[in-house]
Amino acid sequence: MRILIRVFVGVYFCIAALPLGWLMMTSFKTRSASIGVQAKFLPTASEKVDPQSVRFRPTLDGYRQLNQAYAGAKYSFFRYLGNSVLIGLLSTFASVVIGTCCAYGFSRFRIAGSRDWLFFILSTRFLPPLTVVMPVLMMYREFDLQNSHLGLIVLYTAFNLSLAVWLMKGFIDDIPQAYEEAALVDGYSRLQAFRLIILPKAAPGMAVTAVFCLISAWNEFGFAMTLNNQEAVTVPVYFAGLQGNVQGLPWPQIGAGVLLFVAPIVLFTVLVRGHLLRGVTFGTIKR
Amino acid sequence: MEGQGKWLKFGFVGPALLILIGLNIFPLIYSILLSFTDAELIGGSFGFVGGRNYGRVFSAPRFAAALRTTGLFVLLAVGFELILGFGLALGLKERFRGKPLLLTLLLVPMMLPQAVMGLFWNLVLNGYYGVLNQILAFLGLGQPQWLTDPDLKFFSILMIDVWMWTPFMMLIGLAALNAIPTYIYEAAAIDRASRWIVFRRITLPMCGPLLGLAVLLRATDALKQFDLVMAVTGPNDPATQTLSALLYQVMFRDGSVGLGSAYAYVVLVLVIALASVFLRYMDRLQQKEGEVAG
Repeated sequence: MRILIRVFVGVYFCIAALPLGWLMMTSFKTRSASIGVQAKFLPTASEKVDPQSVRFRPTLDGYRQLNQAYAGAKYSFFRYLGNSVLIGLLSTFASVVIGTCCAYGFSRFRIAGSRDWLFFILSTRFLPPLTVVMPVLMMYREFDLQNSHLGLIVLYTAFNLSLAVWLMKGFIDDIPQAYEEAALVDGYSRLQAFRLIILPKAAPGMAVTAVFCLISAWNEFGFAMTLNNQEAVTVPVYFAGLQGNVQGLPWPQIGAGVLLFVAPIVLFTVLVRGHLLRGVTFGTIKR
Repeated sequence: MEGQGKWLKFGFVGPALLILIGLNIFPLIYSILLSFTDAELIGGSFGFVGGRNYGRVFSAPRFAAALRTTGLFVLLAVGFELILGFGLALGLKERFRGKPLLLTLLLVPMMLPQAVMGLFWNLVLNGYYGVLNQILAFLGLGQPQWLTDPDLKFFSILMIDVWMWTPFMMLIGLAALNAIPTYIYEAAAIDRASRWIVFRRITLPMCGPLLGLAVLLRATDALKQFDLVMAVTGPNDPATQTLSALLYQVMFRDGSVGLGSAYAYVVLVLVIALASVFLRYMDRLQQKEGEVAG
């Protein structure tokens, strides 16, 4: 039984790792090698490679050619990466700041109907983007926010607030009230106590929360695709746009781009691995 | 202190609530109004058409089909993910060398962008040069056309979803397994309970609450499935048209905003029903945890 389950884990790992391994290899191939009828999985240094063999000569062309614009997009990959970074960082910053304040309020004050409010906040996370996007789009047309970075930043801030509030509430609940009470007795105001006592203690939690907000803004597709079609397009929408390409997709460049795009996520996942459980269950499970 | 406290409270929690009301409640009210009109995506004037849109939603065969597709998707995706994920958790419960690294590697897919990975899976699943079919050929198996065979497209999307979200079930399964105190297993060993009995009577029931949470969380997510459908088949493929894909098709490709809003509202009712089950479940679980901790 134990052997069987170990074999299962091993087999699962190999199958699950295959697409990611293939992604990595594809990014170092030429286009013809990337769609060879004979799969190429052995890198070789030799100049002459038989097109029918399983060998390929690694090249950095996939990465070098990322600065070109491909059919289906107006600009190169890096322009869209810039959009993703800008929108991701600013919306994350806003949701963590606003979310931390809100979580502190719910954690420390007696607020009428606080349970209901908290569940209202969480329930916003469950709305499918496509059910609310049309009124938002019409609203954005009025305020000229369509196709703008600001429009997506505001929307992602709202979208991530539920996560930020719930995660931060978990972290702030863990900080003993005695610290602030002592500070209040010493003549600090509430705001001073919040700024000088709570914020430093909540900082690690804020960092973890920021990582989860950033990842979900980074990965978001539904809103990004429907709310703009040119200037503020993020990377997931850029990739989706390439799909209509009649000459076939530039797979090595896609592989290289995808790899660059997900590398920070993998790095962050490693950094917050101890808090993953909290992050994916809105702080319900703290272990 | 108290009079000032009221404003202080509001200062802390107000901004978040105002943003959420402005970008969720307000659009929801706006879209219920739109659902009674014949508004179009291109703009222009539109008029009140009464409940006609809702009549069209419920009589549309594609709505019934999308409902079936989505239901089947939620059921199969969450089912496979639960079984595979819990199986992995059972295998990874004990300590061994390299476990943290292996766990982290296994968890990576669930953090990745679905839309982007869905696109890349097109290369893996391609019927002619895809690596999956080449492996199948090497093993002497058939050459299924994953992306073009109408019977298989749905399965392909399901497969990608299972690949992405099995780690999620594994993560929660592991937390549940680790929370079972060892003395219970020791007591069972003294009673000479068989392994199967231990699994049935101790392991499964004690993991139940957390696995239930995981299932509900995944189900509300799978109900919204859109990104993978867009990446693999596009929004208007009858074999894979989920509710979200249908919404997109009606609103943005057909351009019928009024009708689309009616669709959106019907979908919303479904989502809210499932989400409220989830929220109530979570509330109960939290209170229970609080009792244990307190």
